Amino acid sequence: MAKEMELSGCAASAQAARMAKVEVICSYPIRPYTALMMELAKMVANGELDAEFVYGEGEHAQLSVVAGASAAGARVLTGSSGVGVTYAFETYSPIAGGRLPVQMMIADRALDPPGDFGSEHTDAMSCRDQGWLMGWAENPQEAFDNSLINYRIGEDHRVLLPQYVCQDGYFVSHIPGKVVLPEQSQVDEFLPPYTLPHPLDPKHPVSHGPQIRPDQGTVMDLQRAQAMLDAPAVIQEAIGDFNRIFGRNYSPFVEEYMTDDAEMAFFIMGAHTMTARHAVKHLRSQGVKIGLVKLRFLRPWPTQEVAEALSKFRAVGVVETSTSYGGAMRGGNLLHEVRASLYDVPQRPLTTSFMAGLGGEMVPLKEFYYMAEVLAKMIKDGKASKTVYWVGFEAEA
Amino acid sequence: MAVAVKTQNLPLIKKIRNIPKEEYYVPGHRTCAGCGPALQYKLVAKAAGPNTVFLGPTGCMYVANASYLCTPYAVPWMHTQITNGGAVASGVEAAYQVLIRKGKREGELPNVICMAGDGGSVDIGLQAMSAMMYRGHDALFICYDNEAYANTGIQTSPTTPYGSNTTFTPPGPVIPEGKKLFPKDPPQLVIGGHPAVKYVATASVAFPVDLMNKVRKALNVQGPAFLHIHAPCPKGWKFNESKTIEIAKLAIQTGMWNLYEWENGEYKYQHKPKEYKPVREYLKLQGRFAHLSEAHIAKQQAFVDAKLKAPGIPVAIPISPPRAEA
Ligand SMILES: Cc1ncc(C[n+]2csc(CCOP(=O)(O)OP(=O)(O)O)c2C)c(N)n1
Ligand code: SF4
Ligand SMILES: [Mg+2]
Repeated sequence: MAKEMELSGCAASAQAARMAKVEVICSYPIRPYTALMMELAKMVANGELDAEFVYGEGEHAQLSVVAGASAAGARVLTGSSGVGVTYAFETYSPIAGGRLPVQMMIADRALDPPGDFGSEHTDAMSCRDQGWLMGWAENPQEAFDNSLINYRIGEDHRVLLPQYVCQDGYFVSHIPGKVVLPEQSQVDEFLPPYTLPHPLDPKHPVSHGPQIRPDQGTVMDLQRAQAMLDAPAVIQEAIGDFNRIFGRNYSPFVEEYMTDDAEMAFFIMGAHTMTARHAVKHLRSQGVKIGLVKLRFLRPWPTQEVAEALSKFRAVGVVETSTSYGGAMRGGNLLHEVRASLYDVPQRPLTTSFMAGLGGEMVPLKEFYYMAEVLAKMIKDGKASKTVYWVGFEAEA
Repeated sequence: MAVAVKTQNLPLIKKIRNIPKEEYYVPGHRTCAGCGPALQYKLVAKAAGPNTVFLGPTGCMYVANASYLCTPYAVPWMHTQITNGGAVASGVEAAYQVLIRKGKREGELPNVICMAGDGGSVDIGLQAMSAMMYRGHDALFICYDNEAYANTGIQTSPTTPYGSNTTFTPPGPVIPEGKKLFPKDPPQLVIGGHPAVKYVATASVAFPVDLMNKVRKALNVQGPAFLHIHAPCPKGWKFNESKTIEIAKLAIQTGMWNLYEWENGEYKYQHKPKEYKPVREYLKLQGRFAHLSEAHIAKQQAFVDAKLKAPGIPVAIPISPPRAEA
């Protein structure tokens, strides 16, 4: 029988790893993701999980150990937060280009300086263009589900890409929420055993990662790009199966909330979606025609789905929880891609972005009410006067 | 870390004519003529045999070897970053432990060998190498030492000898000796602080049977092992490519390189000269030392003399003083 538990995001991810029967784990301590490794260490010590638990000497090593293990044919898991995520940066491209379906759980943490334990998406966002699948969980249940879903997609031979499975530090990683743990048989039905087309096996010698000439490079880049293009069909298939087997109701790419007849919407991903839902519900009770669109996969970016979802509104407020210093929108990263997605749409909504939840600050209801006011003003004025609002630091809407 | 039972016992080779004919490092590479590192690779691969996985950190033994569609490795091989050879090797070994335990792979644990340059071993790759040794993986880390960052155009590395002319240590009026620092000692770094390590040895392309037997001993032990292999580089050291073996021999005859094994806390020496030649004999054959003055040579001699007397390396034979006429 599937059973219901109260689990933090880290504990939920550990349960997913156990049920996915990961074979090689590599750890290194950094808050907040560490709780995942502490859970896994206990499972290995108790005999609940038969895996090699390797104490990495740093995040760069964590990714390197699991890369080797994945190439040898083992299902692997590692993870990190904040500066740990950026410390491992060198390894991300070789892993994706080597088409090793490594899974990395990222529990976001603000980058230094100064030292800050709070959650912010900048750590993972800084690594987004290497050829990894990537998406955020809103709550521990989604963290659990996303782990299984990503193994299934990443390990699919039509894709073979690594996965950053992200959750907001503390807000998801450490606040317990309801998690339905499925039957092992359900997981086994959904997730086939890991196989790699050409593992490192002396019975079938292969060379991984030879030196190429510049004219051979584009071909490999194209193949990595193609894997990202091929991923959406596989994502759709996997989500369909997941919903059927586990009785869930996920949309593959974007999820809408109270968008019927809405004139404006928040575009958001991760933990703060939960507060945004409450804000939307309250504003609706006040007669404000607002909804929200949640992004489930940042990579591959669902251009079509984003365009379709957002083009029905008159104004969209993109909630940014990351920084892109000096970028075209002067704020975070998401608005760049949102605007790019809407470029070919004949009836484009007005768009702007809100810097909120940086450094791990909460995004309270009143900040969402403020954002709604800005969006209402944009509709009234018929234009977006700014591309970015630093919420809490602006004189007025 | 659980250790899979390894029953392998690669037999030791008595004479050079008993060396196996099979090659696992085959033609197809683009290393310089007389390349010491390529020669030792061939010997290591022969000694290890077919049940082997090589990890190749970036360096000459990657870049000058692993050209797409004609790599010279007849056993599985994977490129690693220059930074992480030890970590990737650890992962491969860990995967095999669990896959064999779960019955997903059959047979013996393969020989997992990380073939790293000096930079990839004791400079930028030091952390990953040390951690592999610390964690007790059943894998072999080889530092093929060409005493420089060769692939990037011969820059000084931590094993580049004192007084070398490299592209980062060019001699000039202000710094007449070129490189002013004395080198790191890789095997001592490993022996010094890694209780899980079972076997450490130094080897040289000048003594191929000794080299291959050390590879086999290192692979027969269960647990981590480390080999430091002297591999002259004609391009970097500036000598004629026909003299690779001669130079390698002279390094041992002058005490610039020592052949030893360390096992169960004990040292054993091989091919120790009856009498050491002055280091000058070795230095004079190489363009990288051509600019050195008498004072610099004396400084190098003093370093070697002290090293030969250092604890752990008992020297029964008196060291001859540098000869004035040489
Ligand atoms: C992170 C990183 N920094 C620098 C380099 C450039 N690099 C390529 S090969 C090489 C030299 C490697 O030296 P060593 O390990 O001694 O091997 P060798 O080339 O001498 O055989 C360097 C520094 C790199 N590939 N990666
Ligand atoms: S530079 Fe030296 S190590 Fe590199 S291929 Fe040439 S001889 Fe070999
Ligand atoms: Mg070198």
